[in-house]
Amino acid sequence: MSAVDESILRAVDELQVRYIDALDRRDMDGWLAAFDDTDASYILQTAESEEARLPLALILDDNRARLEDRVSFITRVWAGTYQEYRTRHFIQRLDCRPAEAGLYAVRTNFMVAFTRLDLTRTELLATGVYHDLVAVEGGTARFRAKKALTDASALPHYVVYPL
Amino acid sequence: MGQSPISPAIAWPAKSTQVPKEIFVRQDVYAEEIKRIFHGPEWSPVAHASEIPNVGDFKTCYLGETPLLVARDEDGGIQVFYNTCSHRGTQVETAVSGNRRNFECPYHRWVFDLKGNLTACPLRPDDAVNFTKEKYPLEKPRVAIVHGLIFVTMSPEAPSIETFLDGYEDKLLNVMGGDGRLKLLGYHKLQLNANWKTYHDNDAWHAPLLHLAFRMLNWQGGKGRQFANDRGHRGFESALALPKGQTLLKDASLIEYRGGNLERGSCSLHLFPLFSAVKHLDTIGLRFVNPSALDRTDIHYAYFGREDDSEEMLRHRVRQSSNFLGPCGLVSMEDAAVFQRLHVGSHTPGMQVFQKGVRDEYAMPVEFSQNDESVNILSWEYYRKVMGFAKEAA
Repeated sequence: MSAVDESILRAVDELQVRYIDALDRRDMDGWLAAFDDTDASYILQTAESEEARLPLALILDDNRARLEDRVSFITRVWAGTYQEYRTRHFIQRLDCRPAEAGLYAVRTNFMVAFTRLDLTRTELLATGVYHDLVAVEGGTARFRAKKALTDASALPHYVVYPL
Repeated sequence: MGQSPISPAIAWPAKSTQVPKEIFVRQDVYAEEIKRIFHGPEWSPVAHASEIPNVGDFKTCYLGETPLLVARDEDGGIQVFYNTCSHRGTQVETAVSGNRRNFECPYHRWVFDLKGNLTACPLRPDDAVNFTKEKYPLEKPRVAIVHGLIFVTMSPEAPSIETFLDGYEDKLLNVMGGDGRLKLLGYHKLQLNANWKTYHDNDAWHAPLLHLAFRMLNWQGGKGRQFANDRGHRGFESALALPKGQTLLKDASLIEYRGGNLERGSCSLHLFPLFSAVKHLDTIGLRFVNPSALDRTDIHYAYFGREDDSEEMLRHRVRQSSNFLGPCGLVSMEDAAVFQRLHVGSHTPGMQVFQKGVRDEYAMPVEFSQNDESVNILSWEYYRKVMGFAKEAA
């Protein structure tokens, strides 16, 4: 797989679990806390766009200020307009290898189920791959860059929360 | 326009301000709409030429459930084909987009060039009577191209594109930022869990009420006007006013305007039956929308820059278009949420009612101010006539 120290892998896995747990609890401060304090990005894009080399993304939060703005969109701007839905994220690390100084490039499969609270069934919201750049300092990992690429080209439902 | 086979008949109210909710949820109405409207004598935009800039570039799409293939031929021309082999009817191309020198049906290896001519086929002279390749090109719907926007119709009865647009060609230019020389930035694709008419009927009154971002940004609209015609088309043009003293956003580049001229900085256009285009700030978006079921509408928002944009301007447009509009956008995520609720709510008796801007409950409106929802009434009247729904006596 990769020649990365066990302690690094543990820190990376803990970060991914913190991240999905925050999203499934709709804890946007927790989501934000998974990213680097000063320099970080989150991009949600379809695999179709990536393969066609089209730069447009569904979410293009390419600096820390935009990540903080994303939290404002969800908790303040859109409050009361959307129907709450439950998500359940499942992840599987595929690969973790050293990248530029002190950073690790991590690939992780994801599957996100969602449940509208007014319906009785659960459906798939998205599957895909996270391509992450992770910084590990003092045993704690944070995202420097996170890109979620969805397998489907269209979302089956509007998306309030990042994946 | 002929008698409607819809049963029980739709009782269309005498008041022009009312729309029966049942038309959003009845399968027989939906089937008739596909026949009379989407496969009938209307024109539907399916792509912009800038989505397929190079020889061999193609895109597949749908008109109702009818598969289409749009391609750029060797002479630089635009071709639109029914995406079905002239032999046994197999779907010829399954990729969403790409680049090819020819299209090959895998079933019996019939090969078509970029103009749809059958150029190779494994038939030998003794295999069939009366066969020549010339008899079997890919079939085509009628096509009209206006400033790069590719319209199709399946009906020989459709009027000319000029008659269809009914004087709105210049409005199409405005909403594409001045000319049709665009550069594709990408797509937002969304399945909307609502009937197509719910999407198309989105009104001007809701914007400052549903989309709280405008209030939170202290963002008042500029001076503008709405317009509509008897052909079911309508739109909006406004000077662009920018938010004053906003404190909501930490990255204000999301609402930064680099387009220069503020006049007509904000425009939208809705063409009957289901095309819309929006230019706001530095975003240029063409929305290719298709009904895929009674309760499902596929929306492909295509975003563009201009051909002569600098790299920096294109980057700005990408950053703004990604986060401002669309299914996760600051001022539009809520629309999808409301459309879903409108669809559920339409399974109840009675009427939707228009209020804002109504001066006469029975007549067709002739004047509209900036935020009036009454402008949509003209589109509904055109729809009613096309569908052959008789109006009840006043």
